[in-house]
Formats: sequence, structure tokens, C-alpha cells
Amino acid sequence: MNIIVCIKQVPSSNEVRLDPVTKTIIRDGSQSVINPFDAFALEEAVRLKERLGGTVSVLSMGIPAAEALLRDAMSRGADRALLLSDRAFAGADTLATSYALSVGVRKLGGFRLIFCGKMAIDGDTAQIGPELAEHLGIPHVTNVYEIVEASESEVLCCRNMDGLRQLICVSTPAVLTIAKDINQPRMPSITGVRSAMTAPLEVMDTVAAGVERAWCGLDGSPTQVLSVEVPKRSSECIFLSGDMHEQVSALKKLIREEL
Amino acid sequence: MTEAMIAFGKQYSEYLHDESRTVGNADSISFPRCEDDVRALLKDLSRRGTPITVQGGRTGLAAAAVPFGGHIMNMSRMNSVTGCRIDENSRFCFSLQPGVTLSEFRKMLEKQNFCTEGWDEASLEAYRAFLCAPKQFFTPDPTETSATIGGMVACNASGARSFLYGATRRHISGIRMLLADSRGIVLKRGQVFSRGRKLSIPIETGGVLSVSLPDYKMPDTKNASGYFVSDDMDALDLLIGSDGTLGVITQIDAALLPMPKIIWGVSCFFASENDAVAFVMQVRHTIPGLAALEFFDGDALKLLRTQKEQNLAFSKLLDIPKEAESCIFTELHCDDYEIAENRLFDLGEVLKQNGGSEDNTWVARTEADRVQMQFLRHAIPESANMLIDRRKQTCPVVRKLGTDMSVPDALLPEVMRLYRRDLSENRLQSAIWGHIGNNHLHVNILPRDENEFYRGKALYARWAAQISKMGGAVSAEHGVGKLKANLLTLMYGQRSVMQMEELKLCFDSKKLLGIGNIFAAQGGDGI
Repeated sequence: MNIIVCIKQVPSSNEVRLDPVTKTIIRDGSQSVINPFDAFALEEAVRLKERLGGTVSVLSMGIPAAEALLRDAMSRGADRALLLSDRAFAGADTLATSYALSVGVRKLGGFRLIFCGKMAIDGDTAQIGPELAEHLGIPHVTNVYEIVEASESEVLCCRNMDGLRQLICVSTPAVLTIAKDINQPRMPSITGVRSAMTAPLEVMDTVAAGVERAWCGLDGSPTQVLSVEVPKRSSECIFLSGDMHEQVSALKKLIREEL
Repeated sequence: MTEAMIAFGKQYSEYLHDESRTVGNADSISFPRCEDDVRALLKDLSRRGTPITVQGGRTGLAAAAVPFGGHIMNMSRMNSVTGCRIDENSRFCFSLQPGVTLSEFRKMLEKQNFCTEGWDEASLEAYRAFLCAPKQFFTPDPTETSATIGGMVACNASGARSFLYGATRRHISGIRMLLADSRGIVLKRGQVFSRGRKLSIPIETGGVLSVSLPDYKMPDTKNASGYFVSDDMDALDLLIGSDGTLGVITQIDAALLPMPKIIWGVSCFFASENDAVAFVMQVRHTIPGLAALEFFDGDALKLLRTQKEQNLAFSKLLDIPKEAESCIFTELHCDDYEIAENRLFDLGEVLKQNGGSEDNTWVARTEADRVQMQFLRHAIPESANMLIDRRKQTCPVVRKLGTDMSVPDALLPEVMRLYRRDLSENRLQSAIWGHIGNNHLHVNILPRDENEFYRGKALYARWAAQISKMGGAVSAEHGVGKLKANLLTLMYGQRSVMQMEELKLCFDSKKLLGIGNIFAAQGGDGI
């Protein structure tokens, strides 16, 4: 069972910095981590490989610093990696990103399954998996929290539908987006870190990948972001004085003002 | 009784105990907010000859904060940061009131966000330099981050990273303290030294406190047993680790170090305990930058496996390798990725030379992995406590008997054999974990009934005597407090303990502070 796992580098904290002109997230590699949902997807793929044989490839579109993320994925059991990296990919919305990833998938080739995290914690769109499947013309199942059975030709899996469990048998090749807590991602071993250093990692720009440039990056993104703001969080502590009745009245007034 | 002093009532019952689960009693309690409050309280209490127990976060394991009658002075509301300076070793120092908790201090450092209201210009200038400097950290890392800085200084707390950075003492650059009679002492590191064992400490309002230091020699191991004394010592070091017996600390200058750019955790699993010990004996002298070297024995790992199976809160623990009978956790600190990688691989080589396998390791290089590893390390003592709590329901007398002893480097294999032989001969259930890099293990006897509890206590006292003969310490990090006061005589002898009492009298002539700490109270049964 050859599996491709799409992974994304996301900011490690809530302190997201936005480009004031493009309104997109500034991704300079500092303090970046693997999207947590993708970590579950990677672990599930490695577990399937250990059960059924085959390979796990990791694919990402990002800045050159994402190479470290891919090496880390290989230290956790992936066998090879492909990074799509070119300034022309920058500013992509989900459509342009999923298009680029579909080209990367074709470059890697020979897969039966593609795993994506259910969503990325920076954009929160959950669109990449389904759009990737559409670009590739294959079925997809979202929000998978259990893989019951898997073979080269089909996968029986459970997806979560707002508390309802849906059991789906999907024929391969297919895209599965993986929910949190489907497993407990492993930590790499020293052996894993050693082997990841020399494991094959290819970096492709738009030319090497053979993408249609007009479909990539900002140019290929129909989504126009007009304005984005980081939510301002504020907290204030107000002490109410007086006797109990006075405090209750003051509290009622405050609640009314807030509502 | 002053206005700030509150008659003791049921609503304050939580202040009668600490994490040692020893329960005391008190007549009154106060929550001072500034040094003037402390001074006023001390004047009143001293005049009336009332015993005083000073409390911080009550996270201690030796009952030092548990009152044996008298007054509780709880410092938790003195929790401001009052200034910043650059110390004699070019380190940034923040002046903290004693009630600042470790977690609050860490948060301020992490976010580089301190409330500077009321700071003088010199402090503000040092603070501006701090904001521009590379990220800094305060290295002492006791497990309980709700510990207050005052409590940490009082018992010279350490934690896993003290293997590289040393205990709290090394990171304290100044202290303000009020004596029991309310006179003040201000000490900065490097300013007041003893001549041999004679020490003269200037009193803030004039005059000098003349002290004859005890003549015992401290063990060449990690040690938090009794007063820190040595020839020509810095006076500041005497106050640190004095278990609340010499004065009330009102301000602490905590010194920082630059945060290493790379912090990796590595857990190594072994099929044999002897292999794990051999690994430690070799690795601690061969790999630079190891900040921590921690041990978990097979019984501790078994507790974890059981918890994971039976308790939902622990279900997210990673599966411990099946064949693992012990685990060594290490933390690599350095500033260069390539160097870190090379050290990791060197560690792997030492592992292989000592019966381990690089496959049976976990390497935590990301925050998520570090959190997972910390969860596992903290889950072990929690599992032991939960087990004992269950047993307490049917046999209230039992409690966990956790040792805190250390031995010199060369004697680590010997002390491990001693523990194993005695636990097996006494048929006692146990779990061993702790700071093996410093030959400082917490052997936790987990009594199943009253009989085992008393057998465990007897064994504990026997170990204290044997470890003292080996040149070790009866308390390496928790402090002596009340629970280990009896053991201090085993370690240093009666004469030295009497010398310590004479020293205390120089600071606290009415013997009001920390009654029962370091010096066994009459009727106290220790451990």
C-alpha cells in the first residue's frame, strides 16, 4: 500500500502575522510546526504501511525551510519527500494549493491512498483534501476517525458527522482527510533521525514540477481576501463594591450593558 | 493581635498541610502584601513569643511549611516583581517578592512582559536591555510549578535540569530578609564572605550579626540537608536552603541564563536496570550539554502501563516499549542544530555500548513531543500517589515513603544494589525514579498495609544511616523540613546538629521561626 501524506507547515502559536498587502499569513519558517491534524495523518499512514507493506511519501508546498519539516516526517516513518517550493506558489488559496499538490501527487505517482489532515489550524478551511481529490478525479472521505480495514483495492473507514458515525467503504485510489485523535502520533527514534538525514527529499520549483503557472499562487487564486484581522482578546477585572444588594444591582447593569 | 493577623478558622484548613500530606495546627494566619506588613507582624509576634511558620506555595515534600502551632505567615500575596538589574556575572536578574510562583515567573519571561509600574530608572534601563537580549530563562525546574520562588530558595529546590545548571542556589544573586525580631539583612552575591567559619553579616539598620558557622564538611554530592556551610563562603549561600529557620525572605534576585536555541528530550529504554545504570555512568562524562539525566525503573513503567489501560486521563500516553524494564530520560541543550545532531548520535553510540538500542528511543525535538514526554514523566509520580490514595481508603495510616538521598558518583551502582536487595528482602512494593545523573533517586515505597508501612519506615531510616556512611546526603533536594529532621543527626552527628542550633540562635534568639524544621520537634516521628 503506497500512501502519500500531504503536510503543511503552520505557525506554532496563536501569534499569527499577516502580510498587510496580500492579507495572507507571513510564512518565514520561524516557530513553524507540522499542522497537528497532518501529524495524525502521517502516523495513520505509517501504521498502515507497517501492517500492509508499501511506502509512505510526504508532500508539501512551502518555503525552503519546510524541508526540515519533511525530514522530521521521515524520521517518524515516511520513506521519501517532495517539496514544491517556488515564489510563484506564494499567496495561494485552497484551489491553487490543491492544484499544485495534485501535480506533486502525479510526480510522486504509484499511490493507492492520499491522506491529508482534516484541516489546517491556520486557515481552518478543510477544503484541501476534497479539492485535491477533485483535481485527481478520485473519491474522497472527510473527517475519518477510524480505518477499520484496508487493502490495495478498498478501505473501510468511519467518519464523524457531528456525533454520528458513518461507515464508508471507498475504492482506491482515494483521498482521506484524517481527524484528530485517530491515533497517538509516535516520536522519532534516534534510528529514525539518522535515516531521515539521508532519506530522499526532492525540491521542485514550478518548472521542474511542470505546473501551469497561471493556476498557481496569487494568480491562480480566485479567492480575494479583502481584509483580515487577528482577533483582539481583552480581559478586564471589575471589582464591585457595596453590600450584597448593591453588588447584585451593579452586576445586573453590567450584564445588560454587555448584552 | 495586629489587624493583618487573622484568628485561625476552619476556612483556612488548607494552610495546615503541604504536598507531604502532613497536617499541622495553628492559632493565627496572615497574608502580608509588602515588607512593611511582614515587619509589623514580626514585631508583634516576636514580642509575644509566638512561633511562626512561613509558607509559600505549599508544594514541599518535607513538611517545612506545615505549622506546628503558632502563626502561619503565608507569603502568596507578596507576588510582585519589583525591579531588574544586571548582576556581577552579567546575568539579568529580576527582583521578586517571595510569593511569585515559578509558573508566573516563567510566563513573564516567555512573553517578555513584566509590570514595571513603580520601578526605578536603573531597573527600567536593565529591563530595556533584557527586552533586546536573546531569550532568557530561569533554570531551576521543580516538578510543581506552583512552587513560589520563596519556597524554592528556602529549600534550595532543584529539578531535572539541575544536573547541568545546579540547584536554585546557583541562580540567586541577592536576598532581603527580615529576622524574627524584624531587623533587616540585605545580601548581594559576592559582597559578604566568611573568614574561615566566622561570618559577620551587616544589619540594615546598623550593627553586625556575628555567626560561628558549624565545622562539618558537606558531602560531595547534591545536597539540601541542613545549613550550607564551608570555609570563606558567601553569606548569601547560608540563607539559601535554610528551610525558613533563619528569617523571613522578602525579596529575591533571581538570575537568568540565555535560553539554549536547541532543547531536545531523549528517552532511552533498556531491558535491564544494570544496563541503564552502566549507560548513565558512561554518558554523563562523555556527552556535553546534557541538562538532565532522569531514571524510571520497571515498576514505575508498570504503574504507567496500568494507568494507561485503566484511566481515561492517561489514555493518551504513548505505549512504552514492551520489553522496557527501565528508562533514562535526557535533555540535550545547545545552540547549534548540527552539534545537537552529533551529540544525539554520540548518545546513541553510548547506548549501544551499554545494551541499549537506538530503535528503543524517543527523540522529542518539537514542542508537541516535549509536552508528550513531560506528560509521561509527570504521570509516574501521579500514578503512585493515586495508588496510595486508594490504599489509604482501607488503611488510613499508610502513605508513600519517598526517599530523597544522594551518593557520590562512583557509588551509584552500589546504592542501586542496596535498594534492590533491601526492597526484595522486605517484600515491599516500590517504584524508583529521579535524578540519576546526580546519583539522586527517589525510592518510593508503596505500602499495602500498616505492617508494610512501618517496615518501610524502618528501612528508610536504615538507608539514611548507610547512605550517610557512604558519604551521601539524606536530603538532596526537598530540604530537611520536619520529616527528615531526625535523619540529619544520622548524617552529621549530634555535635554538628547542636552547632546548627547555635547558628540558628544567632539569627532567631527566641527560636520562633520554622519550629520543627531541621531540628526535630519533641514528639515528631520524622519521615
